[in-house]
Amino acid sequence: MGGALGTKAEERRGMLSKSAAKAFFLGGTAVTASVFLALTWDTFQQIPGRTNASALTEGVKRGKHLWESNNCMGCHTLFGEGAYYAPELTKVHERRGPAFIRAMLKDPQAMFPGQRQMTNYHFKDEEIEDLVAFFEWVGKVDLNGFPAKPNLGAPAQRAQVAGSTGHAPEVFGQVCTTCHSLQGAGGTVGPALDGVGDRLDAAYLEKWLRDPMSVKPGTTMPKLPLDDAQLGALVTFLSSQKLTKEVAQ
Amino acid sequence: MKFQSQKVAWGFFATCMLLLSLQLIYGFIMGFAHAGYDGLHQWIPFNTARATHTNLLVMWLLAGFMGAAYWIIPDECDRELAWPRLAWVQLIALVVVGVTAIIGFHLNWWEGRKFLEIPRPLDFLVVVDVLLFVGNIGWTVWKADKKSTTSMVLFFGLLAAALLYLPGMIPTDNQTVDSFWRWWVVHLWVEGVWELIMGAILSYLLIKLTGVDREIIEKWLYVIVGFTFLSGVLGTGHHYYYIGTPRYWLMVGGIFSALEPLAFLGMAIYAFAMAKKGGRTHPNRVALLWTVGCAFMSFVGAGFLGFAHTLPQVNMYTHGTLVTAMHGHMAFWGAYAMLVLAIMAYALPIMTGRKVYEGATAGFAFWTSNIGMTAMTLAFAVAGVSQVVLERRAGMDFLTVQKEIEIHFWGLILAACLFTLGICAFIYDFIRYGLPTAPLRSGEARSVTPPEILPTAAAARGAV
Repeated sequence: MGGALGTKAEERRGMLSKSAAKAFFLGGTAVTASVFLALTWDTFQQIPGRTNASALTEGVKRGKHLWESNNCMGCHTLFGEGAYYAPELTKVHERRGPAFIRAMLKDPQAMFPGQRQMTNYHFKDEEIEDLVAFFEWVGKVDLNGFPAKPNLGAPAQRAQVAGSTGHAPEVFGQVCTTCHSLQGAGGTVGPALDGVGDRLDAAYLEKWLRDPMSVKPGTTMPKLPLDDAQLGALVTFLSSQKLTKEVAQ
Repeated sequence: MKFQSQKVAWGFFATCMLLLSLQLIYGFIMGFAHAGYDGLHQWIPFNTARATHTNLLVMWLLAGFMGAAYWIIPDECDRELAWPRLAWVQLIALVVVGVTAIIGFHLNWWEGRKFLEIPRPLDFLVVVDVLLFVGNIGWTVWKADKKSTTSMVLFFGLLAAALLYLPGMIPTDNQTVDSFWRWWVVHLWVEGVWELIMGAILSYLLIKLTGVDREIIEKWLYVIVGFTFLSGVLGTGHHYYYIGTPRYWLMVGGIFSALEPLAFLGMAIYAFAMAKKGGRTHPNRVALLWTVGCAFMSFVGAGFLGFAHTLPQVNMYTHGTLVTAMHGHMAFWGAYAMLVLAIMAYALPIMTGRKVYEGATAGFAFWTSNIGMTAMTLAFAVAGVSQVVLERRAGMDFLTVQKEIEIHFWGLILAACLFTLGICAFIYDFIRYGLPTAPLRSGEARSVTPPEILPTAAAARGAV
């Protein structure tokens, strides 16, 4: 390419000739296009390993299809690609966990009342499992370190909740702590749940969790899509949150 | 206007005006949603507005390129289009496919892949339509006695754009592979072959408007598209940093995309230099303003702002944030929207025989839309940088950050109002130009170009 610029004709005339310019264009394009094609070939050799292509189950494939046929990228980003209206979902399986994803997809409006809305696509249970599988696969692709961990100020809190309340049910760590905190870790939308077992009994908690609006009309506490087993585990766990016991110890 | 068949360009330009108006409406819907007012969510959710906004853009730019080609090719080749009626059929087909796609987006019917949302069956129709167009242009060039560099670069740019649509249709179950091919289309279009089209249209406009010798302008056209491909092809690597592709793309993409602004800088210097050399004596000053403005704004938007977040170290934090929207808006406006408006500003007076460019609205449209777009870009920049710092670097929750930056979207909406005012002025002028009814002239230079810059005199002045 550099050679094309320094032809004899150019030196003779003291300037670049049109044919030299054309040669520069064609030559440069040919060289870069060849390198690009070679790198493309090599990339395709590496992709199966870097993306765990062997773990691409039928569920993951169906999940990808659901992701596309509902244009999830029109609001969210995945691998940082998409629109910037809703959260980046590459690491959602690791960050929020499957219980949160299921609750969110079952009733998107319930989780963040009064906030930016997500469409309810009325996914069937098996479709939700496919999407969970897709997110789990996506989260394990080698992305050269993306997304980077936040490196300013105090790190995000949510991840620590599960550690500090070892016996908490999965749904508590992934769903409840989005808004509520326990031992200082979690969200700040709803009240802290430290000592909630002192304040509320099990019967009230169950009624409250089943349908918050019937207990307190106008509350922003969502009616979460919980099954009986999850509900039972939550009531047991919340009832056991007593500050008095800790003081006695 | 030299040839009857050039009139078909008017149909494409009118389509541009219509689709651009719709694009603005959907932009406002998204702006308000970001500011916290998503009242239309039930009927037009964000993903519908977004797909409609970007696809309308692509569609009206393609319509603009097609209109430009139907205008330029007969002029450059000195003959009528091969099949003028086919051009009209092809326009109607394009509009039908486009409208079907847009309606589909409102009914949750799409492919859901950023920028390539239109459903697969329609993809095939697009390919057929574009092949008809390229065939029509190609046959006209083929039959012509003279094959100018400008017409050849334009033709090969359009042909390559049509071919590069195909990789986007390769089926795959792997998200990484999917993304990889998608950028073959999107990147190699906007930072590759579309720049060939841009370079060719710019050089046509500069030849016509400045009167500088064709040989000089076309020589620099080669140099600029040479730099474009030298940097832009391997610059595709800046989309391959973080999608599951090998690590070497960080270096390849980083180095070559850092060189991309040079091509745009070259384009800007080229336009300014030629405009200066030609002495700006053409009466249609506004057309020259759009031409030179296009080269300048594409350097700022695509070159400079693209460089601002293309290095892997920066992109690690800005990738997938509103910083991308900042770069995207001014890049598309400067490089391609202004280009289409420039060719319209040049061709409409000749097509219709009216000199609307002499009025005050023509200049008003240029300055207001450009100031509006600059202000929009600044609003996106503030929102985007805030998002990067709060969410990506300090680790705050996504929705909390979005609440924090809502205020900047009111700034965006205000700026967008200004921009819209400018576009309305442009459309008002378009309507005042009316239908393409001007009688044919053997050389359009006679109707609008004063004798002092007719080719021979200009060639003498242009020779270096």
